[in-house]
Amino acid sequence: MVHYIGLLLDDARLSKIKGTELEKKLTTLFGGQIKSLVLEVPEEWSKKILAEFPNARIDSRGYLEDLPVAFKRALFNEVVNKKSLGVDVIEAVFKRIDEIKELAEKESEYIPPPEIDTSEI
Amino acid sequence: MALLKMPPPHGGILIDRVIKNPDRAKKMADGCTAFDIKPTMLDGIPIRNVYREIISICYGFFSPVEGSMVRNEVERVLEERRLLNEWVFPYPIVFDVSEEDYKNLGVEEGDRLLLRLKGQPFAILDIDEVYRIDPVDIATRTFGTPERNPEVVKAPFDQKHPGYMIYRSLNPVILAGKYTIINEPKFRDPYNKFWFPPVRCREEFKKKGCRTAIAHQTRNVPHVGHEALMKNAAYTGDVEPCRTILVNAIIGAKRRGDYPDEAILEAHAAVSRFRYIKPERHMVTFTLWDMRYGNPIESLLHGIIMQNMGCTHHMFGRDHAAVGEYYDMYATQILWTKGIPSFGFEAPPNEVDYGLKIIPQNMAEFWYCPKCGEMAYSETCGHEKEKQKLSGSFIRGMVAEGIFPPNIIMRPEVYKAIVKWWKVYGYPFVNPKYLAEKDRTLEVDIPPMEVDLKR
Repeated sequence: MVHYIGLLLDDARLSKIKGTELEKKLTTLFGGQIKSLVLEVPEEWSKKILAEFPNARIDSRGYLEDLPVAFKRALFNEVVNKKSLGVDVIEAVFKRIDEIKELAEKESEYIPPPEIDTSEI
Repeated sequence: MALLKMPPPHGGILIDRVIKNPDRAKKMADGCTAFDIKPTMLDGIPIRNVYREIISICYGFFSPVEGSMVRNEVERVLEERRLLNEWVFPYPIVFDVSEEDYKNLGVEEGDRLLLRLKGQPFAILDIDEVYRIDPVDIATRTFGTPERNPEVVKAPFDQKHPGYMIYRSLNPVILAGKYTIINEPKFRDPYNKFWFPPVRCREEFKKKGCRTAIAHQTRNVPHVGHEALMKNAAYTGDVEPCRTILVNAIIGAKRRGDYPDEAILEAHAAVSRFRYIKPERHMVTFTLWDMRYGNPIESLLHGIIMQNMGCTHHMFGRDHAAVGEYYDMYATQILWTKGIPSFGFEAPPNEVDYGLKIIPQNMAEFWYCPKCGEMAYSETCGHEKEKQKLSGSFIRGMVAEGIFPPNIIMRPEVYKAIVKWWKVYGYPFVNPKYLAEKDRTLEVDIPPMEVDLKR
């Protein structure tokens, strides 16, 4: 069974794929308010990912979620680097899995908050 | 059609075991042996603090329960989900201590124990019975097994289930008896803004002229799917939709990845503060309870709490109060539709003797339909192929990556409430650091109080 990983794109990420073939593979969600790139993940790879990140899970849509930010960031960088949404991207990221897990470990302690004004709350 | 009115408390009367007269309180505590309340720990992380149960009992949220259960009552709850006075109740509620603490205390049946919190006198426990439990047995029977409860239990409970681990981590000695709070706690900000124990909540409903209210029990910040659920479920009622949507958050130790309690409360409050639901029709409250994630079993407790608070209806979604895939995802809805005989319910809990009076409103799910261009109800919208589901984990991923969610997924003010508390804790979700900090500060402060202890 194939699972999926959705990489959400904000303006900064969109600018990195501008003019490439990837731009044509953009998926929009929620009335076009969210743009993403979707990687198909064969079952053998989703098993490996779940084994590396114990908090990760497959949601009701079949998407791998609760993945560390560091892992998703690395995936996006490899997508841009390889201009691909194939398994080759996951393979490349897994070559650095120890380093990514180390970063992910730190994420369970601290994630910098976005700099937005919350004074009205 | 007969007009509905506020249901009576579960068991007939609201329990009020809070002493407000300081002289009387001091007299009750003088001469007692004292014990400092300790959290239940798992791998060095606090997963429960019994003080939350004491508050919820003494202020009437769990009426008619009045204290730590005697052995026969625990057995009856585990076998039939009934108290010794016949009323339905889902969970064993106990005050547990270690063998070492029991030996050091030197108390026995008939003694009065002073319970201290944050170093101050807080409550007393009048000990009726002392007995021992097997925590693994209690944990297993609390949640059920695939063999004993095949209607809804799909997999054996294990160390990944937070509620199961709370019961499994209990100390072996149980001191059973009634609790009485003798030193009223002061809720810290922001909890103080949302403190509506049942008596006060019922008064508030009366002040508002609110005859019908539907409860939304939550452990989450609201995304727009939750908002759609609340708005649409509230169309039930009698000759008119329910007047009030009462959001009640469960506050206590939670599992990793849930949102901090402060963010949950303020995010829900933002829904009406910024008028996505009229403030006149929306109220946010909380109950102290370290969530057991018991799906159908937990839904019984939620029904009891919300009936005690005065609600006429309770909405139940799919996977109510669930974690993992231990229960059928519709277990709660099965319970409230036809009952679960193996848990003691040949009929729904509101149709059995000594059952609940609150009316269940089972709801399916909401998704975004690009074809309809709106948040749609799954049983109404026919565009199954086009649907775009809102998943909590999807939104958590977006939050963790620092992406401002679009308005169609989460209201900006709700997101800002998350970020406000993210700035405080350096993390947007519950993690071990948050749990430790929470157990240190708790939700309350206890005023200083002098008592003469037993020497």
